Amino acid sequence: MIDLLKKLCLQDGISGDEGTVREFILSEIDGCCEWKIDPLGNIICFKKGKNATDKKVLMDAHMDEVGLVITAVTPDGFLKFTALGMDTAVLTARRVLIEGSVYGVIGGKPIHLTRGEASKKLPPADSLYIDIGAKNRDEALDLVSPGDRAVLTSDWAQAGDKIRCKALDDRVGCAALISLLKQESEYDFYAVFSTQEEVGCRGARVAAFAVDPDFALVLEGTTAADIADVPTEKQVCHLGKGPAVSFMDRSTVYDRDLYEAALASGVLCQPKAAVTGGNNSAAIHLSKEGVRTLAISVPCRYIHSATSVADVNDIEKMPLLAKQMLCDICGGKIQ
Amino acid sequence: MKDLLFSLSAAACTGYIHDAAVLAEAELKKYATVTRTGNTVIGQMGDGDYTLLLDAHIDEIALTVTDVDEQGFLTVANCGGFDPRTLPARPVNVHTKSGVIPAVFCSTPPHLSSGEINYDSVSALKIDSLLGEDAKNVIALGDLITYDMRPVALAGNRVSGKSFDNRAGVTCLLELARRISGKDLPFKIVFVFSDQEELGCRGAKTATYAVNPDEAIVLDVSFGDGPDIGAYECGKLSCGGMIGCSPVLDREISDKLIDLAHEHNIPYQTEAMGRSTGTNSDVISVVGNGVRTGLISIPLRNMHTDTEVVDLDDMTAVVDLLEQYILSGGVSRD
Repeated sequence: MIDLLKKLCLQDGISGDEGTVREFILSEIDGCCEWKIDPLGNIICFKKGKNATDKKVLMDAHMDEVGLVITAVTPDGFLKFTALGMDTAVLTARRVLIEGSVYGVIGGKPIHLTRGEASKKLPPADSLYIDIGAKNRDEALDLVSPGDRAVLTSDWAQAGDKIRCKALDDRVGCAALISLLKQESEYDFYAVFSTQEEVGCRGARVAAFAVDPDFALVLEGTTAADIADVPTEKQVCHLGKGPAVSFMDRSTVYDRDLYEAALASGVLCQPKAAVTGGNNSAAIHLSKEGVRTLAISVPCRYIHSATSVADVNDIEKMPLLAKQMLCDICGGKIQ
Repeated sequence: MKDLLFSLSAAACTGYIHDAAVLAEAELKKYATVTRTGNTVIGQMGDGDYTLLLDAHIDEIALTVTDVDEQGFLTVANCGGFDPRTLPARPVNVHTKSGVIPAVFCSTPPHLSSGEINYDSVSALKIDSLLGEDAKNVIALGDLITYDMRPVALAGNRVSGKSFDNRAGVTCLLELARRISGKDLPFKIVFVFSDQEELGCRGAKTATYAVNPDEAIVLDVSFGDGPDIGAYECGKLSCGGMIGCSPVLDREISDKLIDLAHEHNIPYQTEAMGRSTGTNSDVISVVGNGVRTGLISIPLRNMHTDTEVVDLDDMTAVVDLLEQYILSGGVSRD
């Protein structure tokens, strides 16, 4: 599964440009389930289980990642951009890859030439630019166009049980869904690889409408703040203690029965101990008459940067917990 | 030169010995008589009573571990000037006795970083070693940490990566050695790849004492242009090497370099400074009885980050100019 995750993370696909990721996922799941692609680019899959069930369960993972959109080219050949879902505090002096082929760097005035108070503050995000090495506007326009998409690149690295890479949010969810589709399932379920999560959960909204589920499990990556200098009570969740399950975040009050069943499932997991962030649950739980929803999230440090960090054990537990929840729901444990 | 620059840029450290020094030693040995002491590589070509020293520092900015906590977070001190504002979520490598460990600078999630982040010093930030409780067994105090970024090609002949300051200079001198190899040299040439420049030009001081040259030219990098930098406080990429003009540099050397650039149609630009230059030339010029010293800098963008950018054409221009300088006899016959 970790090898699969590596391949997924190294695909580039920011919101609205998930094609490469989608093709890769299709190559993995084809033959394991029924699937179709909807008008927004979601992959909607149906997995036939061993047992019939009258409960319709949707499992979601989003394919898109945070990134940049090129907005203009200056006369000097530098690119202006807008950041999509990114923490703008981690944009200075980064390498980017535009449309999978053109490298650039987000440049800036060296600290040696920055004096006084300015040297203690981040440059404002709208003053940043990308340098692709072009000497002028024409040279730049030979290689890129406004509207092109870029990601902050990063190599895959692993130390002990920890992984360091871009796009862990939410390729960890995609990897979990793929592994569930590849194995035999106890019960029928729908799997959605959704688009446009980072720009407002737009893919999941229409996919949930189409599937019309009774229950939803949203497989995600979430902020872990278990790092130095963050007080214990603010650490949200911890790497290595299993996937986090949420009772509430900024956009969803989760189904309490599902939340409690997850904690009692016997699969190592932890409560997400903060009301922060949001995910596709926001769109899914309000679909049609409403959907009983649970988010299962792999704790990720430095999420929304090009170097997020997650723990192999948490990643491997996520499909186990989702599978157990499916059995609890369809087996009648959850009323 | 690109392949050599990329190899030098990506080289790791073993203990305090940079693999780059070992690599440069092997490369220079093809053309010169070479010794390496620690990270300092000295190679001699040609003979004579008059000695020209050519210096490029081979060290890169780094950090050193000052604390490893129970959860595997590291506190560090800087060996060279970092911009703390660029460091959160930055990938780095910890060079331990048992190998290279990938790590990353901690970055407080936006929802918890209400208020300003303290960018006063590198030591106020923490590094996540990824090793958790095991970190204490693997990482030792004093282990070095460098950026983790492989070099890539940009448009044209421009390239980006870490530690081009000053592996770009080292690459040029290695190319120069290759070019003048087998040629009739007017005097003794000693190549010095010096250590600890980023800590205050220390390596060049002792190496120069050992070589005892009559004349020296330092090759380093200087600030390249960008939209947020005043045109008068930087050089321009793709316009050739920056010939230093400063009270601490030998004026005849500067003038000779400029004349030769004109004569041979080699692109160049001047970098005029009112005081010292912030390079090894400040130190080399006052070793022993004093050494007449010149300076050429390769324009480089985003200095001291892992996204430095140089133009290989500028590096070629610098090698062309140094070759002409040597073949012309420098200022030895003045």
